[in-house]
Amino acid sequence: MTGQTSGTPVLQATNVTKRFGGLVAVSDLDLTIMPNQIASVIGPNGAGKTTFFNCVSGFYTPEEGEIRFLGHPIQGLRPDQVTARGIARTYQNIHLFQGMTVLENVMVGVHPGLRSTPMGALLRLPLNNIEEEATLAHAYALLDFVGLADFADVLATNLAYGSQRRLEIARALASNPRLLLLDEPTAGMNPQETEDTMRFIRRLRDERDLTVLLIEHDMRVVMGISDQVTVLDYGRKISEGTPDYVQRDPLVIEAYLGTAAEEVDVNLLAT
Amino acid sequence: MLQTRIRQFVASLRTGIISGLIVGLIVNFLILLGIPVNLSNIALLAILLVALVFGVRLARRLRAYGLGHLLRNALAMGLAAALLVLLFMALINRWQERNVKVTDYFYSVTPQTMTVLSGVPASELFANPPRDPLTGAYPEGKPLRTNPMRLTFDSETGLELVDINLVIGGFYGFLIVLILAGVLGTLLAWVFTVARLGQTWKRARAYLATSPQAHIGVLLLPLAFFALLWLTVGHGTYRAATGSYSTINPILNLGGSAQEVQLLIGFAIILFGLVAVRAARPTDSGLSYRARLALCLGIVAVMMGLGLWRIVGSRTYFLATSKALGGSETISVVLTLVVGALLAVQNILRLRTPGRFETQFAGTGAILAVLLMPLYLNQGQNDVMTIVGINVMLGLGLNIVVGYAGLLDLGYVAFFALGAYSYAFLSSNQMEAGADGQPASLKFAGNDEMVVKLAGWVPITVIVTLVVVYLGIRLWRRRPPAERRPWEHQRPLVSYSGRPGGNMTALITVTAILLSALVASLLEGTGLYDRLFASTSPFLVGIIIGTIVAGLSGIALGIPVLRLRGDYLAIVTLGFGEIIRLLFTNLRDYTGGPQGVLEIPRPLPEGATGGVGYLSMVYLVLIGVGVIAFFSLRLKQSRTGRAWSAMKSDEDIAQSMGIHLVQSKLTAFAIGAAFAGIGGVLFAARQRNIYPSDFRLDVSIEVLSLVIIGGMGSVPGVIMGAVALIGVPEVLRQLETYRIMVFGAVLVAMVILRPEGLLPAPVVQLRERARALTHSHYRQEGGEA
Repeated sequence: MTGQTSGTPVLQATNVTKRFGGLVAVSDLDLTIMPNQIASVIGPNGAGKTTFFNCVSGFYTPEEGEIRFLGHPIQGLRPDQVTARGIARTYQNIHLFQGMTVLENVMVGVHPGLRSTPMGALLRLPLNNIEEEATLAHAYALLDFVGLADFADVLATNLAYGSQRRLEIARALASNPRLLLLDEPTAGMNPQETEDTMRFIRRLRDERDLTVLLIEHDMRVVMGISDQVTVLDYGRKISEGTPDYVQRDPLVIEAYLGTAAEEVDVNLLAT
Repeated sequence: MLQTRIRQFVASLRTGIISGLIVGLIVNFLILLGIPVNLSNIALLAILLVALVFGVRLARRLRAYGLGHLLRNALAMGLAAALLVLLFMALINRWQERNVKVTDYFYSVTPQTMTVLSGVPASELFANPPRDPLTGAYPEGKPLRTNPMRLTFDSETGLELVDINLVIGGFYGFLIVLILAGVLGTLLAWVFTVARLGQTWKRARAYLATSPQAHIGVLLLPLAFFALLWLTVGHGTYRAATGSYSTINPILNLGGSAQEVQLLIGFAIILFGLVAVRAARPTDSGLSYRARLALCLGIVAVMMGLGLWRIVGSRTYFLATSKALGGSETISVVLTLVVGALLAVQNILRLRTPGRFETQFAGTGAILAVLLMPLYLNQGQNDVMTIVGINVMLGLGLNIVVGYAGLLDLGYVAFFALGAYSYAFLSSNQMEAGADGQPASLKFAGNDEMVVKLAGWVPITVIVTLVVVYLGIRLWRRRPPAERRPWEHQRPLVSYSGRPGGNMTALITVTAILLSALVASLLEGTGLYDRLFASTSPFLVGIIIGTIVAGLSGIALGIPVLRLRGDYLAIVTLGFGEIIRLLFTNLRDYTGGPQGVLEIPRPLPEGATGGVGYLSMVYLVLIGVGVIAFFSLRLKQSRTGRAWSAMKSDEDIAQSMGIHLVQSKLTAFAIGAAFAGIGGVLFAARQRNIYPSDFRLDVSIEVLSLVIIGGMGSVPGVIMGAVALIGVPEVLRQLETYRIMVFGAVLVAMVILRPEGLLPAPVVQLRERARALTHSHYRQEGGEA
């Protein structure tokens, strides 16, 4: 909560281009996110949203362009280095660790913040013992925060779908990130669950001082909680701004619906 | 009309006929395997058991139909099976009649096969002498063949079923017995279902699972089996004062099979020790601190008493001193008392925390039973225990690589070999023949000097490293407060009075190593080592060096295979295992080649003789197993262990959680390899001669099998796996011919029936502890969320 000049963008991507052979997945993308914002990236399927996320979190290295996190470049770093810097991420398809309980899954997320070594584990060094207890407490507190404390000893794969999503978020929060990337957090949820998730994301921003970047298809969520919306189509940014502005942008409407602007009821996007 | 009726009739027997054909094929398969030849006393039983089991299976499948239908199908099954077996054995008989050599076609089918299946002795199963071409009669006086294809009903020619004479003989008699076995199985299963015995069985099981008496019984099992062992062993009474020695006969005399049964009881002690500790619940059973203490200390006292009586009375010493060899008794007694005192203290301290009574009780009982067990077994049995123990160590090491970290390593035997050869090179007294054929110098020249040199280097390295690390951290803490990089805000979960990060630690470590090398080589020149370490046992040095060498080679293997997954990793590691073995075979000048390394001394002082040898070996192995098991359990519940579990489940996602894959994989390889190295050193000490052929791929596969069958990722499981796959075959020597086949069959059976293993790792229950820690954390921080 301190020492962060509000002028430095948390994430600043400039001219990011990612090609897979002949296919250009992301082309010349500029994106800036200021601290404590909820930013959304939307666009039709295949627009390059998840590819951009993968570039940020280190799975891909962009061919051109730069991605800066808190002013320092992170393109080309390994995924574990990116996470150690303070960016955490969830996934479109839930990837929880099998064979481990809910609590253990969150405890894995704490990994970057620890300094215990295997030798310390063998010799029971005090650092290891202190960190073990702190890890347990921290993980349990996070489960409490997302409401899964009662399921702490259940195998992660035995949870219901909505609970698994919340567990993924708890695991991502375990490393105390500054920036949280959420890939379609409300996929497969009914309207009530979607409402709960929206409130939860707002809580994350307010109570935990996080910056959140979302990929979403559900327009209610996007328009409801975003401070800034970026629209991608075929890898290019076609619009950016506040939700209201983007809703009315004819380019966006054409991209989503494929027809000329006048013929379409503008309010369709606002449902 | 008749056609339809016949067709319907045959259709109703389909299940039976198909089952019968399968039974016939299986029986023929068993015959081809040579079961009647190699296991002649139980061959008939095995074959009839097959028919029985399929009869039971038939009954379960045709449960819905009536008894008549069931019996018809059972009969059809028997007839179909009999038909297939008849066809095959008729061929064999015809060949034997015509003097055709059957073993040219079916390797394991000899006249003994026909003997077992028909009761006709092998000496009468030859071809008939040639007939006279004119009269067509057999020549006078020549013995004629007895045709086994007959049916007789007297006890002289009857079939022998495990010492019971069936009074029915001839091959047709065997077929009738086969059919009857199938029908019997069906009837038994039918009776079982009809009498609803299944319900009674379920009720009994439920009762055993929940009743408190059964629970107490489970906790006492290791002690019960130890008592059983104690009853079956002869005891000695040696009175030092008069020098007289007499033996007391065992209270429970087992006769000829004592060897095997005692060994099996020993295995049961291990198994139920693990089961008891697993079954212990976190309660105190309503006992006061004094009562709990009394019970646990009581066990310690009783077992200690028994142990001391054994040591003194039967003169089973397990440790020899180099000073006064007659002091073996004293030192054994002292060591026993020390162990007893340690256990007592541990119990006193631990029982203070509530809820630990059952674990302590079961654990103390199990540990004492296992520790005292070797004192009551003889050399051969202890030898088996040693081999099982070494395999447990290998299994636990592989458990870390495969079970915890999910890296399929098929070349694990390489580290085992490296550990063994390290100790061999250091300590072998193998003489090399000189030009005149007489024994000249030591083949591995300079190994005594090497031992002394290494014995000096190791403590120097430790001392210097500690000093450098301490000074390094002190200096680092004095550095001017550097500007924190923005992303280091809130980074470490726990701020523990300043420890340097990765790069600085690496720098300090490298400096420490270089400096210690410098200091050690300087000191070496002064001849200090020769004075201090001249009489160091090569075994101690060997253990340390073997572990280090194996660990480093684990890292060396890990580096090229970092990017490989699954099958590719398996093949490459397999190659590595073979490379090491071939290196040892072909570098004759350095490693002795296929002739191996001989004359490796036992880890005992010079001149120690007698029984101490094998007992000290067993205890060394037990200590090794204990240490490795303890380390494995510690690693599992640590940051490293969780990183391994995550990596095993999904490498990419683990990486995105901040886990450095290279570090994790190399650590897993290194630690697993180091454990194999320890096992290798102990193996060389036990075998005393090692050859490259001891380290073939088979060993890797065996160790992998015992990890899988015991339960991947579970320490008690691996111990059980080793006992089941290595220990039990030692007892059932008869199965030696079929060892590999039984291995495979057990693997397949386990994968189908119990894929998680014999004693799978339980799901970790950390919630209570986490909750308690969270609340105490919050109280400290004043309720901040």
